[in-house]
Amino acid sequence: MRLPDELLAKRVLVCVGSGGVGKTTLAAAIALEAARRGRRALVLTIDPARRLADALGIGALGNEPKAIAPDALVTLGIPAPGSVSAMMLDMKRSFDDLVERFAENADARDRILQNRIYQHVSDALAGSAEYSAMEKVFELSERREYDLIVVDTPPSQHALDFLEAPQRLLEFLDSRLVQLLLHPAFAAGRFGFRLFQRSAQRVLQLLERVSGLAFLEDVSEFLLAFEGMSEGFRERARSVRALLLGPSSAFVLAAGPSAESAEQASLLLDRLVASGVPMAGVIVNRVRVWPGGGDAPASIAEGAEEAPAIETLRSALARSEGAGFPALEAARAAVAATRTYAALVRAHALATGRLRSTAEARGLFWLRVPELPRDVHDLIGLCRIAAALRGAPAEEA
Amino acid sequence: MASQCATSASLRPLLERRLVIVTGKGGTGKTSVSAALALAGAAAGKRVLVAEVGRDEHVPRLLAPGSVPVGYAGRELVPGVTVLRIDPYEALGEYLGLQLRVRSAVDLVLRNKAFRQLLDASPGWRELITLGKVWHLEQMQDAKGARRFDLLIVDAPATGHGLTFLDVPRVVVSAVRTGPLRRNAELVGEMIGDRDHTLLLPVALAEELPARETAELVARVRSSLGIAVDRVIVNAVVEAPFPAGLEDLDERLARLPEAGAHPGLPPFRVLAACAAHLRSRADLNRVYVREIARDSGLPVVTLPFLPMGIRGPSDLRALADPLLAHPVLAAA
Repeated sequence: MRLPDELLAKRVLVCVGSGGVGKTTLAAAIALEAARRGRRALVLTIDPARRLADALGIGALGNEPKAIAPDALVTLGIPAPGSVSAMMLDMKRSFDDLVERFAENADARDRILQNRIYQHVSDALAGSAEYSAMEKVFELSERREYDLIVVDTPPSQHALDFLEAPQRLLEFLDSRLVQLLLHPAFAAGRFGFRLFQRSAQRVLQLLERVSGLAFLEDVSEFLLAFEGMSEGFRERARSVRALLLGPSSAFVLAAGPSAESAEQASLLLDRLVASGVPMAGVIVNRVRVWPGGGDAPASIAEGAEEAPAIETLRSALARSEGAGFPALEAARAAVAATRTYAALVRAHALATGRLRSTAEARGLFWLRVPELPRDVHDLIGLCRIAAALRGAPAEEA
Repeated sequence: MASQCATSASLRPLLERRLVIVTGKGGTGKTSVSAALALAGAAAGKRVLVAEVGRDEHVPRLLAPGSVPVGYAGRELVPGVTVLRIDPYEALGEYLGLQLRVRSAVDLVLRNKAFRQLLDASPGWRELITLGKVWHLEQMQDAKGARRFDLLIVDAPATGHGLTFLDVPRVVVSAVRTGPLRRNAELVGEMIGDRDHTLLLPVALAEELPARETAELVARVRSSLGIAVDRVIVNAVVEAPFPAGLEDLDERLARLPEAGAHPGLPPFRVLAACAAHLRSRADLNRVYVREIARDSGLPVVTLPFLPMGIRGPSDLRALADPLLAHPVLAAA
């Protein structure tokens, strides 16, 4: 089990998965592993919780990538030309950038940026944050300063918003309801649209009753300002989509080891495959493994084996620790702890085994990253994860 | 820390609230906490409603494994506990029906393709309409004119998104100048901000990143949302694996010379490795429970780690008692 070289030869890797599975950590570890194999890697997170900044220990991230110092990379065993940079998007700013870029002129730009509705929605516009992130991925990928961009995404329910959101926005701008809001006089005069017009008019009247006229006026003004942007925006959205769904990108699903996480991951995998994204594989994170490898035994000193096993352990402890040590209590506690440990190894093996079959049946690679005794919050920890991604036992990193 | 002790002593029991909004980072077990709280409420004789807001239903699987989906209409899954999933489109239909009073008008609006597109592209309405439905449920009365539900539990979206969720009424009030939309947002805002009846219940894990995010969440709730928050639930806390006096048992096991194979007993070095791993994870958990209490400035309630996950109501009941326990000041 090793992260395939073809995968790291892509230009963009998108990590998707439910919350809490350690997706950000995995994305960063993939970038480190790519760098170790000589790639100039960039990891990009759009999570608002500043997790990646913590994990990479590089403090606040701006809207531009920051590189990890070359000496630090050498210490970690990452030879030149490999490099790792990281970045977190300021989503509000990123959407403002889009407006700046695609607005017809300075006047239109200011009208959008100062619109009440825009000010409230630009950071909440369905999928806009995700879209802005993908737009940034596209821009960075065009710059060719990085060989591989690893993208961390927000949790599963929104995993595909970044692909669907721009399309939704464009369809909406094109819709007749909006055209009516934008150019009521023009639209009303068009022969042939009458029948439809009347029902759209009626919908608007009803909406007005529900929401209030002032709100619709603000929305209309916002849309009017936005309309001029739509051509450039459309073109760009098409390019972003082509990059992400094309042959130079791949998607990796990150999953947790519990039955519940594995089940969620299976559902998400189905959704992703159905929506046509180029899925490459599944990485199950924090799987508890049996010391020394292999499967955990089905039982630990159960039944008739219990008494002699505890006696063996007790006498070994008594010999080693000397008189006065509660060897019997210790032996019992050690056996109980080992049972607890083994039960979770078996539970994880069962849950991840099903996910593995699902992945392999679809021709996807499958990897598991062992649960470490300590948390991953620095580069050394990330290197341990990266080691697991190339199939080396975590302890050797 | 004296003020914190005062806070803890004056904490009102969870079940005295009317509306509990359970939130937290993805994977922390918000749904299990919601379901366990619902069972505890029902056991105390309350009529409980659990509202899920996600795309999928998770509570029914926990409360009544194998049951069919409850949907928007909801169903009493176990005595005293009604569960529903608030689908924003259905809630919108219901709302428009109440506002426009003419079914054909509602259908005209909802079936209009452009209107659907408007909805798909618009931010905030899902959150607002979902909270509006919660408000509506809160107001519901039974045949005798008494409140239909005594305790409403909302299994809110994961943090980040979860706070946006609760912030929407305020944003709408500030973005919309006049009209029915603004008035509805004000009502919802009042319900959420009612510090006597409504409580935000953050659920965390004793791990580094969830701990940090919980502190951020509590800080943001205090600085800008104005919702009552009086404790943090720390879920899946691993207990110390060894009894007092034997805390370093893993090190003692590691010193044992191997004694040859024994049926059913793994080699001593395997016992030592398992012990060391469990001890390390438990130590880490303890550190982060303390950190959560310190950084949030709130008392914490810890729930035990259940290695097999939640398989049904009996596992939930194992969580209910510790959930209602008086919070402790782990920071002290």
